Amino acid sequence: MQSNRLGWILLAPTLVILFFFGVVPFFYVLWLSFHQWNPFAADPNVIFNGADNFRALVFDNGFLSSLGVTIAFVFFAVLSELVIGYALAQAFLKDFPGKAIFRTIHTLPLIMAPIIVGSIWKLMTTPSIGIIPSLLRSWFGYDLNIGTSAVAAFTVTVVMDIWHWTPLVTLTLIAALVSLPSDPFEQAQIDGANKRQIFWHITLPMIMPAVLATVFIRLMDALRTVDEVLMLTGGGPGSATRYLGVHIFKEVFPRTNYGYGSAISIIVLYLTIVACWLLYVSLIAPRNTKG
Amino acid sequence: MKLNLKLSASVVALSMIAGAAFAQEIDVKNPEWWQEAGKQFEGVTLHGVTESTPASNYISDVLAPKFEDLTGISVQIETTSWDQMYDKAIKDMEAKTGIYDMVYIEQDIVYAYLARNFLVDVTKALKENEGLNAPEYSEDNFTTFADNFRGKDGDLYGLPMEAFIKVYLYRKDLFDDPDIKAAFKEKTGKELKPATTHEDYAEIAQFFTDYGKEKGMDLWGTTAQAHTGHPASWYEYYESVAPTFGVYNWGIDADNNYAATVEHGGTMNSPEAKKALKWWLSMRDIAPPESVQSTWTEVATTFAAGRAAQGLVYGENAAWIATDESKSRVVGKVGVALPPLEKGVMEDAESGKGYIGYYDGGAFGLPVTSKNQEASLLFLQFMALPEVQEDWAAAGSRITLTSTYDTPKVKEIDEELGGYYTMLRDDGKLFKGAPEYPFHRQVIEATTPTFYQILTGGISVDDGLDQMAEKTEEELKSLGYRK
Repeated sequence: MQSNRLGWILLAPTLVILFFFGVVPFFYVLWLSFHQWNPFAADPNVIFNGADNFRALVFDNGFLSSLGVTIAFVFFAVLSELVIGYALAQAFLKDFPGKAIFRTIHTLPLIMAPIIVGSIWKLMTTPSIGIIPSLLRSWFGYDLNIGTSAVAAFTVTVVMDIWHWTPLVTLTLIAALVSLPSDPFEQAQIDGANKRQIFWHITLPMIMPAVLATVFIRLMDALRTVDEVLMLTGGGPGSATRYLGVHIFKEVFPRTNYGYGSAISIIVLYLTIVACWLLYVSLIAPRNTKG
Repeated sequence: MKLNLKLSASVVALSMIAGAAFAQEIDVKNPEWWQEAGKQFEGVTLHGVTESTPASNYISDVLAPKFEDLTGISVQIETTSWDQMYDKAIKDMEAKTGIYDMVYIEQDIVYAYLARNFLVDVTKALKENEGLNAPEYSEDNFTTFADNFRGKDGDLYGLPMEAFIKVYLYRKDLFDDPDIKAAFKEKTGKELKPATTHEDYAEIAQFFTDYGKEKGMDLWGTTAQAHTGHPASWYEYYESVAPTFGVYNWGIDADNNYAATVEHGGTMNSPEAKKALKWWLSMRDIAPPESVQSTWTEVATTFAAGRAAQGLVYGENAAWIATDESKSRVVGKVGVALPPLEKGVMEDAESGKGYIGYYDGGAFGLPVTSKNQEASLLFLQFMALPEVQEDWAAAGSRITLTSTYDTPKVKEIDEELGGYYTMLRDDGKLFKGAPEYPFHRQVIEATTPTFYQILTGGISVDDGLDQMAEKTEEELKSLGYRK
């Protein structure tokens, strides 16, 4: 009983912070999503408009296009981070000269603010003056211009995200891999299993909780990407990189369309929960039911 | 490749030092008065937010420390990007958090701020606090640009701190080069001189782009503020290019129920607007490749790096481009001229019916939510003292007091710049700030997705402008301005 009370006391500061910075803003945004509010409208008051914002979303081409490019962005970025992150985690488990330095350097992007990452990539990719277009032209004769090519801009945002966040995946998977018991692997080798079979039937199932947790974190982060992309492309060229986060930012801040922007935020939250749930039921639930 | 990398490093370095600190000494008259006035605000720290421009950087680097020395009142000025500046200021005033004691008010946003009663009536506040009236400060010192920040009652709601025109800058060294002049004459049959018409401008631009290619130089015929994901491109077209084709006030007729489409009496999708956009896009296509990612800042950097022979450049950058060797490669090689025009536009501008380009600038205002309004009034007046203007004008190409035109440094730079300040004084009346609408960002954000599509070729100019005009009317209806 006493330890229970102590637990609550220790948890209290976190709960208070979570309440004021998580729960209260959530309900405020939820409330706003059922209202029309633009402080620079002729009538700047908050006006209840029922489900009009949500109804409008269904026919909003800007939102639908933004949703489409966001799904593509999340798919390519998270999948690549997972594959590269796993390969790097495996590499870091082995010894090689300069491993400590390489591991430190590899982790550095993680500590950089997204806005700085966006600025660096902008400088590196600006046509004529950036090092990446310069090298691509000199090596492959390819003119990279993320201001005109939708494909190039999309690809660069994906690569930037991979560069920034793969270290997180690597670190999580290293932690999962080093904690695996050696017995099942030794047993499998004695039974004559090859590397591929060991990976699919032993390693992957055993690290699946860590993989899933990492994918959840990256999925949620990638779905709300704003700063890096806003700095790099501003959502352009056209709407090629106007991901949901950028779309919401532009609706809410410059356009001050607070009600409609809140409705989009609620829908994005809902989609994120659904995506995580789908991942969970497709990857974890079947294994649990097999018992 | 090596050249490109060297150039990369140079341009990056130029960008980074463009906002570097200034180190001028200022002699303020009546320092005792300022010391006395500051005593009652001991321990106060004023917070301001502004866009990172040469003029604003001067405030944070020179004026704020000087004011602190004089009065003991600490001043912290955040200089940030244009988007962030608005984001921070509006959120603070809307949520009434009172973080900022001073906010930068760009000329185009003042009407929205006034409509929302965000700002303190400075004229009235000073009348009510006679003890805070600085001896050298007077509203009468301001140029007529201050009128942009007056309310209906004629009172000032912001004290102007920068004012400039978007000028036609050209490379005097290239335009005066005998070999280039001869080559131009041979190719076009015309004398090489700053263009007065769009046709001439396009011919010169094409000539220099070809010339750069032939000679293996990193030189293009024109600048273009044509970012495909930032409203800077929208601004260049609507505020600097379209007016030179006779399309004013963004093509919206405020007196006709805010009509934007030709069908309802607007001009946003008029033949002139379409011609203007096609012309501008053709210039964008022969501008340096970085133009599609350029806002106003990068355009200035491109020109300063010597990569363009001519272009429309914000006047706030003109002085450092023409005079500061630590930032610019074209020092002493810059001339200014009025923008090229279609027939009839100059007559419109002279009669007051239209204008030939963008007169930009801003003021520092005092939010009603500020917790240090009286101390802020002191700083605002300090920024408007005649004795702090000369170096500020030299650093930021901005003039807000009439007396500044006659100061020695301004006269000197005026000569080096081929008469920029004289043009600002004498021809400033031909330019105009943004239209007096309280819905700037709303219309811009509603229409930029289509505008960016036009820029990337996803939609034709004709269809795109038709859609934008319709979208504008739709947005204005939704905001309640169009009935």
